[in-house]
Amino acid sequence: MNRPDTTAVPPLGGAAHPTGTPDGHGLGGSGDTAVRVSGDTAVRVSGLTVRHRRTTALDGVDLDFGLGVHGLLGPNGAGKTSLVRVLATVARPTAGCVELLGGDLRGHRERVTVRRELGYLPQDFGYYPGFTVREFVAYVAWLKELPGAETDAAVERAVTRVGLADRIDAKVKTLSGGMIRRVGIAQAIVNDPRLLLLDEPTAGLDPEQRVEFRALLRELGRTATVIVSTHLVEDVAAACTEVTLLEAGRVAYRGTPGSLAALGADGHESDGNAIERGYTTALRGHRAATGAGR
Amino acid sequence: MTGWHAPDDLVTRYADGSLAETDAWSLDKHLERCGRCAARVSHAVRAGAAGPSLAAVRAGVLAAAPAPARARRTAPTPGAPRALGGRFTRILWAAGPAVRGTWAGSVVLVALGAVALAYGGGWAGARPLLLALAPVVPVAGVALSYGRHSDPLHEIAASAPGGGLRLLLTRTAAVLAVSAPSLTLAGLLLPSPGPRLPAGPATAGWLLPGLALTLASLVLSGYLGCRTATAVVGGGWLLAVSAPLLLSGGTGLTAGLTEQLSLYFTGAPSQGGWAAATVLCALLLAARRTAYDRLETM
Repeated sequence: MNRPDTTAVPPLGGAAHPTGTPDGHGLGGSGDTAVRVSGDTAVRVSGLTVRHRRTTALDGVDLDFGLGVHGLLGPNGAGKTSLVRVLATVARPTAGCVELLGGDLRGHRERVTVRRELGYLPQDFGYYPGFTVREFVAYVAWLKELPGAETDAAVERAVTRVGLADRIDAKVKTLSGGMIRRVGIAQAIVNDPRLLLLDEPTAGLDPEQRVEFRALLRELGRTATVIVSTHLVEDVAAACTEVTLLEAGRVAYRGTPGSLAALGADGHESDGNAIERGYTTALRGHRAATGAGR
Repeated sequence: MTGWHAPDDLVTRYADGSLAETDAWSLDKHLERCGRCAARVSHAVRAGAAGPSLAAVRAGVLAAAPAPARARRTAPTPGAPRALGGRFTRILWAAGPAVRGTWAGSVVLVALGAVALAYGGGWAGARPLLLALAPVVPVAGVALSYGRHSDPLHEIAASAPGGGLRLLLTRTAAVLAVSAPSLTLAGLLLPSPGPRLPAGPATAGWLLPGLALTLASLVLSGYLGCRTATAVVGGGWLLAVSAPLLLSGGTGLTAGLTEQLSLYFTGAPSQGGWAAATVLCALLLAARRTAYDRLETM
């Protein structure tokens, strides 16, 4: 990834420059984020229910995700992490059907095939104290059964994409929290996954790094299905092609960041930006509807 | 990355310095991000008037720089010489985290402790105690290197195709490769018991039981999860060794332990039994290999 560029690039010699996004930075050829690709559905869940002891984390959720960057929004405890963990094949659903990349997860062979194409950044992850960035990412490449001949190049590419090329041989434990988060993103993308699941990827990143990260997200979203769980509404606005709002284990809203912002345009709140107001409006609308249904 | 690239005449004029200043600034900005155009510009510069002096400077710098620094400089570029070594090295450091920290420390402690007790303290019980503990050392090593309770990367491993049985077996192999030689060596260093005591089992007698118990804990992990399974197997072994001592009382610790271990370790029937158990566990493990990719319980 390159240095952040907070000013739009001026046109050169009269030629129209294709970069430049509404939020005013032109990294990664992101001018086409508005294009939504549908048809190729990578994730399909129906009636997905996840219970932890007595609490219900997800309650009969039906969702599908295709190519592009999908934001998962919602208050704490809404079920975002539970959904991501099921999609990462790490947690087993209590009930419901999960289909990833065209295969269901019941058979061993399908599970292995899906996992080879999967990238996953958990909300919390540890590391071995002795490992360098290169070793950490290469270890995950080994876990993902990347062919040995491709591993070194893949590791360097992934680390470069998150902007840590100059720290590749540094011990992970010597890095800052934001850098460790980026190492986590590098390990998730080392196998060029078709399905990328990121749970709170921007936690601990400073604003400049977040801008760079969103550019990377948009770039990844062109060739993969990227699902990003976040509580930062501005990440969704800047990087996502679609928003799914979860509340108390149910889908409260689905739409584009634009439609969510439009929802907040005529709200009564004067606080926050349009998409934050849309978020609040959608959440309250859902609460009112489910409350009335009881 | 972007669709736009600088046209050739722009690149040439930028390289020879004849481009208007504002256009040059714009191209500067583009070059920061576009490796392709940057390469074209540097090619144009080297082909231009400044080319010969640039080549001379480069040769001078390379001659002055020490060789290792140059090697390091080229390492991060894609396609550079392989930095992590071959397949074998890769497996070694994938297994490596198994033998780090507390467990490796406790192997050394058990081995050195037994030697110190025998020679420093002159205690004849050191050898039977070492042999009694040895089979649970690799079991404990598995518990401390695999599973959601002890592996900091478990959540990531659980979503990867190689995070199941492949990783578990790699870690187990590392644990056995460290514990088997070091504990056997410590056992050989210990003095044989005096004439008043029974000879006790051969030092290598623990190896097959250790392997069988380790594999048994792997098989059980598929049902109970790694932590519970190793606790059951390790605890079960320690109980099997100590319970008869506690029940019978009478004979001293050293003599009782030696007698008990001889019963478990010595003779063709008992070693044959351990061998059969090892094979059985290996077969069970192979038969249940697909169970290890559901890792939420491991």
